[in-house]
Amino acid sequence: MIGRWFNERAKLSELWQSQMVDYKVPKTLTFPYAFGVMALVAFLIQIISGIFLVMYYQPNIHTAFDSVNYTIMKEVPFMWLIRHVHAAGANFFLAIVYLHIFTGIYYNAYKKPRELTWIVGFFIYFVLLMTALSGYLLPWGQLSYWGMVVTTEIPTSIDSAPIIGKLKIGETISVWMKGGYELGQITLGRFFGLHIWLLPLILLGLVGFHFYLIRAHGITSPDGREIDKKKEGVPFHPYITLKEGAYLMGYLAVFFFFVFFYMKHFLPADNYDPANPFKTPAHIAPEWYLLAFYTMFRSIPDKFLGFVVFNLALLLLLILPFLDFSPLRSARNRPLFFVMFVVLVISSMALTILGTMPPTPTNALLGLIFTLAFLSFFISMPIISILEWGWYKAKGGSKND
Amino acid sequence: MEASRRDLLGVAVGGLGVLGAIGVLYPIVKVLSPSQASLAGARVEVDVSQIPDLQVRVVSWKGKPVFVVKLPQGFQWNGKRLNDQNAKLLQGQDAYALVAVCTHLGCVPLWKPQGEGEFNYPVFHCPCHGGFYSPWGDNIAGPPPRPLHVPPQKREGNKLIIGEAGFVKELT
Amino acid sequence: MIKTIFFTVLTIAFFYIVWINNIFAPHEKYEMPPEHRKIAMDYKYAKEGRELFVQNCAACHSVRYDALYPTQVQANPMLASLQEKYGKVLPRDVYEAVFMNELNALKESFGKVPPDLSTIYLVKGPEYLYNFILEPQKVLPGTTMPPVMAGRPEETAKIIAYLRSVSEPPPQEKAKRNIMGVVTIGYLIVMGILIWLWRDRILKKMGLH
Repeated sequence: MIGRWFNERAKLSELWQSQMVDYKVPKTLTFPYAFGVMALVAFLIQIISGIFLVMYYQPNIHTAFDSVNYTIMKEVPFMWLIRHVHAAGANFFLAIVYLHIFTGIYYNAYKKPRELTWIVGFFIYFVLLMTALSGYLLPWGQLSYWGMVVTTEIPTSIDSAPIIGKLKIGETISVWMKGGYELGQITLGRFFGLHIWLLPLILLGLVGFHFYLIRAHGITSPDGREIDKKKEGVPFHPYITLKEGAYLMGYLAVFFFFVFFYMKHFLPADNYDPANPFKTPAHIAPEWYLLAFYTMFRSIPDKFLGFVVFNLALLLLLILPFLDFSPLRSARNRPLFFVMFVVLVISSMALTILGTMPPTPTNALLGLIFTLAFLSFFISMPIISILEWGWYKAKGGSKND
Repeated sequence: MEASRRDLLGVAVGGLGVLGAIGVLYPIVKVLSPSQASLAGARVEVDVSQIPDLQVRVVSWKGKPVFVVKLPQGFQWNGKRLNDQNAKLLQGQDAYALVAVCTHLGCVPLWKPQGEGEFNYPVFHCPCHGGFYSPWGDNIAGPPPRPLHVPPQKREGNKLIIGEAGFVKELT
Repeated sequence: MIKTIFFTVLTIAFFYIVWINNIFAPHEKYEMPPEHRKIAMDYKYAKEGRELFVQNCAACHSVRYDALYPTQVQANPMLASLQEKYGKVLPRDVYEAVFMNELNALKESFGKVPPDLSTIYLVKGPEYLYNFILEPQKVLPGTTMPPVMAGRPEETAKIIAYLRSVSEPPPQEKAKRNIMGVVTIGYLIVMGILIWLWRDRILKKMGLH
């Protein structure tokens, strides 16, 4: 009865009907299409677990470590669980986002008119990386501290450049990021502020815009054609909602397996050692989600060039919709694209794994090879596009299709 | 047949959904509940042999300031009385606790063993609006409408235990 | 179908390596005799281990999360009033400021203040600790940690059991958490299956499948 009163005034059931039931999608959507909603759920989990962590965490360099490892992990009932959820959740969120990105690349979801969706998505990825980096500093363990020392050193690679290196822009940026010459209270304070509200707020805005754009254009079909919604579409609810709902349960089951039984990688041992500015841990490396870029940076002997290359990798990812201007859509219809996609996936994975290994000359060479392989995907896009335009025109297709 | 099977499934999903929601809410409620440490603050022990005669020590109990009053042997007080509520309750005790929050508007009164103003015998004086209480916390002048609250307390040898029922069973 | 299997296997293999067992980046392994490992992993030795810790280690090391402080600090009368004010775990800057003299004296002897051991079990693990405590110079050449437990492996194992009890929850709590995990995962799997079946029914009724 209250439901009816509310509904008459908020018109929710009409909203539901138009947005969820009358909204038609292709029947042929595959499993990877669920990664988007899984990413949204992962985001929500981070927000909710974060809300509780912020009640007990202290952003002060003297008490941060104890607030996490004593108050949160040992003192307050169930806070250990919320911390596990948040730590595992960050890793799962990034894993799902990577799977979602690769899915989008595979099905060419970035092609007209969805280039803006892709661009907004890229910025979500980028801001998410910033959020993860700033969050990792907060427990103020050895890895938190030294990981951030390394990260804030990266801009100084600009100073290895010929000529412009003399301006010491890199050092200026590095000192500006830290708020001083070393990592201290000022750094922790600002990263805390960024992590708990500014970056999440920006993320919320970007995700909202991303969702709007997706709904504005509808879902791409796995074989690249735009479907005739009336004839071949199925109602989003219940066809997709319940399917992805069931998949979500599976995702959460895997997630909670790690949360309860296997946190070893998400709460690395060295981070249980309180931050010590005078003692560098034996192995410092970024978390797995940044290792591919780290390997690219490390494999190139010249520091400035390494800096340029990994930024180039990000830039190429951003402009992918413009590099791939072929009229054909979806890897299902494009054997050349499929081959290069496999090259991209394997080189990303190899670069990440190489990042976990010590920087021997062999590994550096392998890193260089896989960096080139990774870049070759993007470089091949215009070439493949030109080839495919040729075939397309030969088959009678035209630019105005 | 088909319709009822679907309803059963729907009910099962809904029911488990509610269970799941409770399963999520339970740890959230526990996380926000007061800790053992803070609940332990509901019991405060004071060694009254350390308090000199006719002096008052202030301690914290359940987040409130509390007077622990020590009266000398054979203490007589012939001051003005409006009511005897606390005096009766605390009769015979040489040490006891009173909640140090003025019953008018909440300031912390001051112990004046030498007297204050028109009263030249020991009184509690609240400087905010001129309230006065007897050594047992009964209000004797000014705006306070009732005596100071008396917390549950008991006496074990030299220890006054505030927060447990004894010669005062519950908070007045 | 082949493509699906290929990408699924690749993804699972990748996350297995990166999150579970990285076969490409092995870490150092330390040896520990099984009978001593059993002692270290047995919670009932934690109490004895604490006494041994107080006798052998507390001269220099604190275990702040267990309100255990170096002997000199323990003897300082300020400690009691600080603990009354701040509770079990003193904030680190308060601790380091109030006991600056005692901590500086330790720093003079050893080059640095011997680290607090509240979380050391989680950082290093039992095997490393066993080897390090028994033969510090062998594991970390040049360390100023003296071989206080030389020739006493069984007692060392008991001390490790104590350190483990400070870092990890007790067995009853661990059992509770395991049950919580099993129930949660079981619930999610059941829910997933139910939703799938329910969807099947609804779609059949709608004639869409």
